Amino acid sequence: MPAITLDHLSKTYDNGKKAVDSVCLRLEQGEIFGFLGPNGAGKTTTVKLLSGMLTPTGGSCSLLGINPARHPETVHGLCGVVTEHAQMYHALTGLQNLEFYGALFGLSPAKSRQRTDALLSRLELSDAAHQKLASYSTGMRQRLSLARALMHEPPVLFLDEPTSGLDPRSAQNVNALLRSLAREKGITVFLCTHQLRYAQEICTRYGLMDRGRLLAEGSLDALRARLGLGMRVKIRASGGSAPASYRKTGENTYEICIQTQEEIPPLVRMGVESGMRIYSVCPEQPSLEDLYFHLTAHQKEA
Amino acid sequence: MNSAMTAIVKKDLYEITANRRMLLTLLIVPLVLTVLLPVVFVLLIYFVPEEASDFQSLLALLPPQASSAGFERTASELVFNHILPVFFLIVPVMESSVMSASSFVGEKEKSTLETLLYSPLSLKQIFRAKVLASFLLSMAVSLLSFFLMLFVFETVVLLLSGGLILPGIEWLLIMLLVSPALSMIAITLIVRVSVKAQSVEDAQQGAVFLLLPVLALVIGQFAGVLLISAWILLGIGCLCALLAGLLMKKAMGRFGYEQFLKR
Repeated sequence: MPAITLDHLSKTYDNGKKAVDSVCLRLEQGEIFGFLGPNGAGKTTTVKLLSGMLTPTGGSCSLLGINPARHPETVHGLCGVVTEHAQMYHALTGLQNLEFYGALFGLSPAKSRQRTDALLSRLELSDAAHQKLASYSTGMRQRLSLARALMHEPPVLFLDEPTSGLDPRSAQNVNALLRSLAREKGITVFLCTHQLRYAQEICTRYGLMDRGRLLAEGSLDALRARLGLGMRVKIRASGGSAPASYRKTGENTYEICIQTQEEIPPLVRMGVESGMRIYSVCPEQPSLEDLYFHLTAHQKEA
Repeated sequence: MNSAMTAIVKKDLYEITANRRMLLTLLIVPLVLTVLLPVVFVLLIYFVPEEASDFQSLLALLPPQASSAGFERTASELVFNHILPVFFLIVPVMESSVMSASSFVGEKEKSTLETLLYSPLSLKQIFRAKVLASFLLSMAVSLLSFFLMLFVFETVVLLLSGGLILPGIEWLLIMLLVSPALSMIAITLIVRVSVKAQSVEDAQQGAVFLLLPVLALVIGQFAGVLLISAWILLGIGCLCALLAGLLMKKAMGRFGYEQFLKR
């Protein structure tokens, strides 16, 4: 059974704004899916539709075969949600907050305490367990929110900018946790972010959104192949006269766009034959960022 | 009520009691209304000259046997059994308004409501748990104020007259029927207003109107226009309880998650 399906899912708000426009998608269990796009692309609205907080104005969606619009409470039991608008109680300590949410999800006090201790330790918050949330830093709150979303061990996780406010070490720790949850427990992670570099680090598949529409989806290799962007070769060299295909990008640095790796040796040979001293040759695949900008530019032209 | 709803009730009560400013707001007005004012009334009755008191005209409205026990005693009984009970209508309305406004809109303001809505509880269950928390607190403050008032008032009367004044049947009806029903009406109405309100102040402003009929009753009691009998009180109580039940059942009927999340 797919973890998440979106079938021509659309949402138009009362003010006429079309936030999600006929999006089709299918996620298998255990995937870490990056749902990417700038602010206002429709990412958060999609999460709200999938978690039953909003009702679609067109199409449908399901989470583990359940329609969130019809059975929101059942879906809430199956997913954990971390968004900037889903905060916790400042007057309670980290421990009290997690135990409260454990009780909300029907965990016994003993089980709740056990999960709380494990998650606080995994997210390096044990020392702050008895501090009130009001004294937590942004990063600590973000980690506690992730712990809260994991309290009931949901099979699907919706994360909206999960590493915003985290220092590099904490972000690394969170990434490791998400990878192990997906790999070992088969948890599906639906990760919304506008930080494309971060997404490329952790996700196994991507959906690129712009103004409510899904521009493309697939793994990085599939997206590269589909868009046919080719690769960039960065060459550091001096002396001689650079061949016409070498584009100068700085002092002693050149860049050449190619389609396959097979084109590299002839390029290097051309440089050497024209008297250049070549120090390094670095082929670079187009990043997610390159693909996204190419896609949005293409959309604007269209 | 399931354990998840109990968790919401406990959390709401903890949040209120942990917030000193909020707790003081909830305690000071009831204490002034139900402990300080009654003592002032009794002292006025015993120490202000009879001729200067407007109580004479009020006493004339009472049945003859009620006014045969002497001015001070009769006036104290009048205050105790006819005027003070009305204060116990103001207290629960005020308490429940403050508590329920902060309970729903406060969560909205602090962005904790959305997290609560992501729980596997239905909107109705969340609503009921929150109403119950406000109701329990309001009743607890009411009862606490009542026993404190009883103790202080009786002590003062005992010291001044050497005897006690027994509470009339009106007290039973007020404390067990009218006051809880009014409190419930106030809470459900405030929570309804809270769905659209964007700040605690917005919701509390709506609650002010709830106090108007109660204030009319207080003024009526003081002016001697309405010396409500136990039967009328019972009737009002039953009507209020019916209305409270109806509101509780219908309050959340039209609302979905989307209305709550509107900013």
